[in-house]
Amino acid sequence: MKLTSQKAFEEWQALLSEREKGASGVRRVRICAGTGCLANGSAQVKAAFEAEAIRHGLSIPLEFAAESTGCHGFCERGPLVVLQPGEIFYEKVKPEDVREIFEKTVLRGEIVPRLQYRDPNTKQPARTSAEIPFYARQHRLVLNRCGEVDPFEIEAAVSRGAYRGLARAFSLEPERIVSMIKDSGLRGRGGGGFPTGVKWESARKAPGRHRFVLANGDEGDPGAFMDRSLMEGDPHSVLEGMIIGAYAVGARKGFIYVRAEYPLAVKALQQAIRQAKERGLLGRDILGTGFDFDLEICRGGGAFVCGESTALMASIEGRAGEPRVKYIRSTERGLWNCPTVLNNVETWANVPHIVLNGPEWFRSMGTEKSPGTKIFSLVGKVKNSGLVEIPMGTTLRTMIEDIGGGVLKNRAFKAVQTGGPSGGCLPADALDLPVDFDALTASGSMMGSGGMIVMDERTCMVDVARYFVDFLAEESCGKCTPCREGLKALQRLLHKLCSGRGEAGDGKRLGEIGSALADTALCGLGQTAPNPVLSVLRYFPGEIAEHEAEHFCRAGVCKGMYWPRIDPAKCVGCGACKKACAAGAIRGEPRAAHVIERAHCVTCGACLEACPFSAITAVRREEPE
Amino acid sequence: MNSQAVSTAEAPENLAFDLQDLFKATPRHPRFLLPLLQDIQFRYRYLPRASLKLVAEHLGIPESRVYAVATFYKALSLTPRGEKTVKVCLGTACHLRGAASVLDALSRNLGIPPGGTTHDMRFTLETVNCLGACALAPVVTVNDRVYGQMTPGRVAELIEKESRHEAD
Amino acid sequence: MIEITIDEKKVSVETGTTVLEAARSAGIEIPTLCAHEGLVREGSCRLCSVEVTERGKTKLVMSCMYPVTREGLEVRTDTDRVRSARRFVLQMLADRNPKAPVLQALCSRYGVVPNVPENVEPELCIRCGRCVRACETNGTSALSFAGRGWEREVTPPFHEAPGDCVGCLSCAEVCPTGRITWEEKDGKRSIWGRTFDLVVCDRCREAYATAEQLRHAGTDPETARLCPRCRKTAQQERIRLGNRGV
Repeated sequence: MKLTSQKAFEEWQALLSEREKGASGVRRVRICAGTGCLANGSAQVKAAFEAEAIRHGLSIPLEFAAESTGCHGFCERGPLVVLQPGEIFYEKVKPEDVREIFEKTVLRGEIVPRLQYRDPNTKQPARTSAEIPFYARQHRLVLNRCGEVDPFEIEAAVSRGAYRGLARAFSLEPERIVSMIKDSGLRGRGGGGFPTGVKWESARKAPGRHRFVLANGDEGDPGAFMDRSLMEGDPHSVLEGMIIGAYAVGARKGFIYVRAEYPLAVKALQQAIRQAKERGLLGRDILGTGFDFDLEICRGGGAFVCGESTALMASIEGRAGEPRVKYIRSTERGLWNCPTVLNNVETWANVPHIVLNGPEWFRSMGTEKSPGTKIFSLVGKVKNSGLVEIPMGTTLRTMIEDIGGGVLKNRAFKAVQTGGPSGGCLPADALDLPVDFDALTASGSMMGSGGMIVMDERTCMVDVARYFVDFLAEESCGKCTPCREGLKALQRLLHKLCSGRGEAGDGKRLGEIGSALADTALCGLGQTAPNPVLSVLRYFPGEIAEHEAEHFCRAGVCKGMYWPRIDPAKCVGCGACKKACAAGAIRGEPRAAHVIERAHCVTCGACLEACPFSAITAVRREEPE
Repeated sequence: MNSQAVSTAEAPENLAFDLQDLFKATPRHPRFLLPLLQDIQFRYRYLPRASLKLVAEHLGIPESRVYAVATFYKALSLTPRGEKTVKVCLGTACHLRGAASVLDALSRNLGIPPGGTTHDMRFTLETVNCLGACALAPVVTVNDRVYGQMTPGRVAELIEKESRHEAD
Repeated sequence: MIEITIDEKKVSVETGTTVLEAARSAGIEIPTLCAHEGLVREGSCRLCSVEVTERGKTKLVMSCMYPVTREGLEVRTDTDRVRSARRFVLQMLADRNPKAPVLQALCSRYGVVPNVPENVEPELCIRCGRCVRACETNGTSALSFAGRGWEREVTPPFHEAPGDCVGCLSCAEVCPTGRITWEEKDGKRSIWGRTFDLVVCDRCREAYATAEQLRHAGTDPETARLCPRCRKTAQQERIRLGNRGV
């Protein structure tokens, strides 16, 4: 059924949300079908629920509905299952658990305690997701439908408010929408933080017959999966934002550029586009307004640099994804030299909310200069890994300690890396920093697209710098001299430092090359590429100095640059290290302090990782056994 | 990418005939270069050499531009790939949680370096920079199946399981 | 016309002129490598940096592409920041191409000493892409960049003799380092692994093009008797003779 007027949409929307409310008697199970949970077998869990329903003679979907939803965000605990009524939350559910869940929870409303989430610190069980600190401290605005609706069903999204912003947009003049976005203070969620409304205004004003709107879904930062979850979990929010944007700037064609590694996101978006077209929300004469807009998906080819605006456009045009010098902005001359608005998928997903609720409402969240919320992927050495949406201005400490539950194995926190390869590593004294665009940039890191990687004492900061430089050297397109040759020079120095061949002056040289590279590179990738190195030089100069002068790695990561030593006072003789040691270098009787024989030790670091009591430390090579 | 030379899995002799359907479905505009190459890559698991010229002719662009694109994007390969591509995620979260040792174990188990393909054309081993499944770190995928929380110890089991499956 | 300042000098230029051209018109020299008159600009070698101040903000830009669009733009071509940026770019290029004469000259001017790292084979290609753009401009596009990052290189497809090459030598002519070599012997020219028949001018007896090159330009090599210069001379002679010979 194609909707041919705003009124028809409103009626349809009202009907769907009525039906949603009327269905409250139906027992529902929402099973996360994000990439993380699917990997852990959530499809089999869903099938088991359906089989149980049939076995119990319940009619599907009148009495029982097992629904696949997009990502709930708490990926580490998957497969996640939420049961209605009562919002009962279960984690790590296996198909074999389903019979018990069905008989106890679905039929009798009883809890299965062993499947409940338990706080890693207090061991208290949580009945609903709202009781879990991981969710309780979040503010799910953009992610509000993720994990709650079936991403492959437009009706599910519409019943929960999708396209209401679009319907409202059509009752406004395009200029009015541009000024709303400007007034809201929305800034690009892809990393740069450029004011979205300013971009729109400039593209709207630029002369040209054709205009384009583009969504950047080429999320390539290692350690980040916000955009993937959004595209997989609520593709309609991205579509809706883009249609509104196209109407506001006068574009009739748009592209969503999706990373090659995200097949499920491509599938969800394709389905969403098809369904939106069937309903008259996309395509010709949208909702009878006379406005035409078409959307196409471009699959990336596996190149991180395509996250760079001009490289992304080159890729859509069918060329190698090399950036161009842009002294003339893409909003004036972008895709095929036409005025183009490129926003990150998360930015687009914010748009419908602003149009619907107004700029003042949006500004009431977050900070003055960075209003709204931001999605982060909180990963690394943290107890609760997953997707986190918080108001801007929340401190790093809240994110890591409250939402993340602290550092894994209660080890000491060392650093948090934000902003992916373009960002930097911030030390413990930066934990009270509010998370917003300006505070992070001032600290030498950056917001980036929202990766947040927690590192503990077992992380070598020189190794981390090496890791990011290796990554960037592989992903550099090689077009400009500084990035092509400069990253290679940084890489050589870092490999030297991490293999015990450091020499006096290496750290200084890293700083010189890094600053020069930042100043001269052609595109954003190159200009920010030295950030991981420069931030380690700034906040962890001691570790660089130890690698350079003493050939010592205090974290016990760089091979041959330390000896692991067991502190007999702390060792309880649990044998975990002995089991982990592939070289057979550890001796010791159960419940007695163990010893490492250096003659056999290959400094792989497995024992340091394995010890649950932090009884093993890395010591300098010259220290006695 | 440093790939081992392999001789099997050759594309059909009459490539032009075999690709007819793809060409028919692809408009003759340079912007379809990447999607067309992706389709060919999907069909043969690599880009047969002769296909580049055919693509160039279809889209009306020089072969050198097709070659530039084919060597630029990591998802495209000019050497034949195995039936199954084992990708080891080297994203930051995976790196911190020991992806390097998982990669070593896979490399030893399959007897090929990263980027290589086994002689029987069953497996290609690749590294990838973040699959966006960081909460499951370290992550390995085989074609599109995701294996989370991998350890070197689980490698043998994974390869054994995947070897039993037929091609996807 | 817009008036701007370059190194304290007032210069008037058309809107849209690049800072590089504006500086040259004022007799101020800025070193370049990837820029070449007659080719599209790419701004990829990053050598021609200058500092510009516009609306109170000072930034480092590439003069070969930065357009003059605002009255009162201030350009400085020789500040500490500019010199250190150029030194860095030269160092990076010279470390890989220590023998390229053009780099040796620039290095000695900027006080850069090439330092080839271990396991790096000295080369002569600085990846400026002039050859690729020249080939594209000619409509042949036999060359392209392949690969990415440090491995990026200029090559015909599959490193083989390129079928699209017409042997016109444009690539070699624009190459600033002499990396692209060719040979001419016995009426034949060899380049990129291919050999072409040379066409000799009936008048000056010089080999002026390859047969493929003429065919590519829509001329039949059998009927093309004169090289462009002699053709012009002949034309003028005809005019002077008042077409009496016709």
